[in-house]
Amino acid sequence: MSNSVISVISRFLEEYRTSTPNKLKVVDAYLLYIMLTGALQFLYCLLVGTFPFNSFLSGFISCVGAFILGVCLRIQINPQNKGDFLSVSPERAFADFLFAHTVLHLVVINFIG
Amino acid sequence: MARPRVFCLVLIALALGAQGLTPSHHLSAADVARLKDFLSQPFTDLESAFYSIVGLSKLGATVSDEYAACQFLKSQLDPTSIDSLFFASQASQAISECEIPVSNETRDILLAAVSEDSLVSQIHRSVSTLSSLGLPLASQEVVGALVARIGKEDNVLAIILALQTASRLSQQVELGGILEEIEDLAVRLDEIGGVYLQFEEGLEVTALFVSAAYALSDHVDVKPPLKEDQVIQLVNSIFSKKSWDSLSEAFSVASAASALSSNRFHIPVVVSALGPAPVSHNQPLLQLQVTDVLSQPLSSASVRVRSAVSTASESVILREKPFSLRDGLFELNFMESQPASGYYEFSVVVDSDSRLVANNVELKVKVSTEVAITNMDLSVVDKDQSIGTKTTRVDYPSKAKSPFTADSHQNFAMSFQLVDVNSGVELIPHQTFVRLHNQKTGQEVVFVAEPDSKKVYKFELDTAERKTEFDSMSGTYTLYLIVGDATLENPILWNVADVVLKFLEEEAPAVIQPKTLYVPKPEIQHLFREPEKKPPTVVSNTFTALVLSPLLLLLILWIKLGANISNFSLSPSSILFHLGHAAMLGLMYVYWTHLNMFQTLKYLAILGSLTFLAGNRMLAQKAVKRIAAEQSSRLAKYRSLR
Repeated sequence: MSNSVISVISRFLEEYRTSTPNKLKVVDAYLLYIMLTGALQFLYCLLVGTFPFNSFLSGFISCVGAFILGVCLRIQINPQNKGDFLSVSPERAFADFLFAHTVLHLVVINFIG
Repeated sequence: MARPRVFCLVLIALALGAQGLTPSHHLSAADVARLKDFLSQPFTDLESAFYSIVGLSKLGATVSDEYAACQFLKSQLDPTSIDSLFFASQASQAISECEIPVSNETRDILLAAVSEDSLVSQIHRSVSTLSSLGLPLASQEVVGALVARIGKEDNVLAIILALQTASRLSQQVELGGILEEIEDLAVRLDEIGGVYLQFEEGLEVTALFVSAAYALSDHVDVKPPLKEDQVIQLVNSIFSKKSWDSLSEAFSVASAASALSSNRFHIPVVVSALGPAPVSHNQPLLQLQVTDVLSQPLSSASVRVRSAVSTASESVILREKPFSLRDGLFELNFMESQPASGYYEFSVVVDSDSRLVANNVELKVKVSTEVAITNMDLSVVDKDQSIGTKTTRVDYPSKAKSPFTADSHQNFAMSFQLVDVNSGVELIPHQTFVRLHNQKTGQEVVFVAEPDSKKVYKFELDTAERKTEFDSMSGTYTLYLIVGDATLENPILWNVADVVLKFLEEEAPAVIQPKTLYVPKPEIQHLFREPEKKPPTVVSNTFTALVLSPLLLLLILWIKLGANISNFSLSPSSILFHLGHAAMLGLMYVYWTHLNMFQTLKYLAILGSLTFLAGNRMLAQKAVKRIAAEQSSRLAKYRSLR
C-alpha cells in the first residue's frame, strides 16, 4: 500500500521534473514561497494570538491574494493551456499580474494600519 | 357638649331619591350658648341694645339685668328720631315692664313717615314702632306706600323689610300683593352645590328673609311658596357659619332660628345619634336625638325605623319598628334583632306633625362585637413524613411555655379559629396577620393568615422557602398574632410563642445600605482601551524570521532551477519599467508610514502611467522577439521534417 503511494509520488515528481517547463517551475517556487509565508503567519496567529488583528489580516490576505494571482499567471502562461488563452500572450499575462498586484497591495497597505 | 355635633357629622346622610336632603348644619346646644354669649354684649348705643335684647328674646333668653337695660333705653331715647324710637320700642317689648313714654309729637312724626316718599326702611321702622306701642295706623295706606316703594327700590333687603312691615299690619287688609314677593325673592336665591341656598347679598339678608317670610306667612296663614328642599338648603346656609361678624348678623341668625323652630308650616328636623355611635352587646341601644334647628328636642314626635338593611348582605334585618322616648331621647334596642357585626343602613321616619321637614333620615349604624381566638394549635411538621407531629394547644392570652424549633427540613404550622364572643359564630376580620419579630436584630416579617372554606385559619411557614424573607437569619423569633377590624371592639395583639428558626446556609447577612438615590454619581472618567499584552520579543522575532525564511527558500529554489537575469536587456524602456516598479513599491512603504490614500493615489497615478508605458513597450519587444523565435524554430522544425 505505502509502496504504491511512494511509487505514485515518485512517479509524479519524476514527471514534474521532466515535463514541466522551467518558467513554470520558477512560478511554482514563488507559489510555494507565498504559501509557506501565509501558513507561518497563520501558525503565529494560532500560537500567540490575533493581536494586532488588522495586521494579521492584511498579511494573510496579501499572501492569499498573491497566491491566487500567481496561480492565474501560471495557468495563463502554461503552454498546455494555450488553446484557451489565444488572445492572452505570456507578456500580457505578466503585465496583468503586475497590475493586479499593485492594486492588491494598495489595499493591503491601507489595511495594515 | 360638642359631641352631638361630631356624631351629626359621623352619621352620613345618604341622598336617596325623593327623601334627598337632610340638614347638614344646625345650631347645636353649644352653638346656641355661644350665640347667646355673643349677643350678651354690653350696650354701646340703642342699636346694639336692640340687637342684643331682641336677639336674646328670639332664643328664649333675656338680658341679665332687665331694669338696667330698660333704664339704658329710656336714657338714650331721642323722641324725634324714628330710628331711635324703633330700636327703643322693639327692645322694650322684649323686656317685661318697660314702657317707653310717647308724646303726641312723636306719634305725628311716625305717622308722617308712612308715605310713598320715604324709604322702605323708614316705613318699616315707623310701622313697627307704631304697632309695638299700640298706636293706631291705617293699614291700607301702608300697603299702598309699600307697594309703591318696592317698585322704586327693587332690592332684596327693601322687599324683605316690606315683608316684615306687612306682618305688622291688620289681617283685614289685602296682603296678597306683598305675599307674592316671597315667591319672587325665592327665585332670586342662588343654589350652591345642591346643598346651600342663599342671596348673594350675604348671610344676614338670607336669614332676615327666612324670618320675614315665616312672620308674614304665619300672619296671613298662607303656606310660604318654598319647597322642602329649599328650606333645608336655607337651613344649611344660615347655620353653616359658626362665628358671627357683627351683632346684626347674630341677630339675624337668631331670628331665623326662631322662625324655623316655631312657625306654622315648616319645622326642619335634625336627627343625630347620641352616645357611642356603634351598637354592641354592651351598648345595645341606638339612641337618637331628634331636635329642631335650635337643638330643642321634639318630644312630641314619634320616631320609627322604616327598615334596617345590612350593608354587606343587603338583607333587611328590621322593619317598621318604633323608637321609644326616654329622657328626651329616642331609643331602640337594636341587638334584640340579633344583627351580625357590620354596618347597617337605617331609614328613620319622624312623624306625628305635618310641619316636619326632612323627616326621612338615612343613618349608618355600626354594630360591633368582640372576637375570641379558639383552638390555637401550634406544631412543627417534618416535610418528609407528616406523621408523629405533636401539636401544642395555647390559650389566649398566655404564651406557649417552650419555644418551637424549626429547621430547613421542617415546617412550622399554626391553626386557629376566630369566633364572635356573643353569638359563637366564626368571624372573618379584615386584618389577620402573623408577625415574626427577631429579638436580637429587631427585624420583623409579617405574613397574612388566611381562612379555609371552613373558616379555620391556617398558617404554615416553610422554613426553606421563606429563607429570603428572613435574610437567612437563624435565631429566636417572637410570634405574634394580630387581629383587627373596624367592627371589632377588642383588637388583639397576642404574643403566642417563641419560634427558633434554623436556616440551612448561615450566610453572612448582607449589610443593608441605605439607598442613596439622590447623591451625585461618581464622575465618569474616559478609559482608553488598554493595549493588549504583547507577546515576548523572542517569540515575535522568531516568527519574523520564520515568516521571512520562505523567501530564502524561494531564492534557493530559483537558483537550483537556474533562473537568471541573463535575458535582461539594457534598453531605456526596460530600465524605466524596473525603476518605476521599484518606485511603486517604495511608494507603498511611504503610504504605510506617512501618506494618506489620496496623496498615494496621486503619486501612484504618475508612477503607474510611466511604468505602464515603459512596461508595455518592453513586453512588446519581448513578444516580438519571442514570436520571431517561435517562428524560426517552427521553420526549422518544418525543414527538418522535410
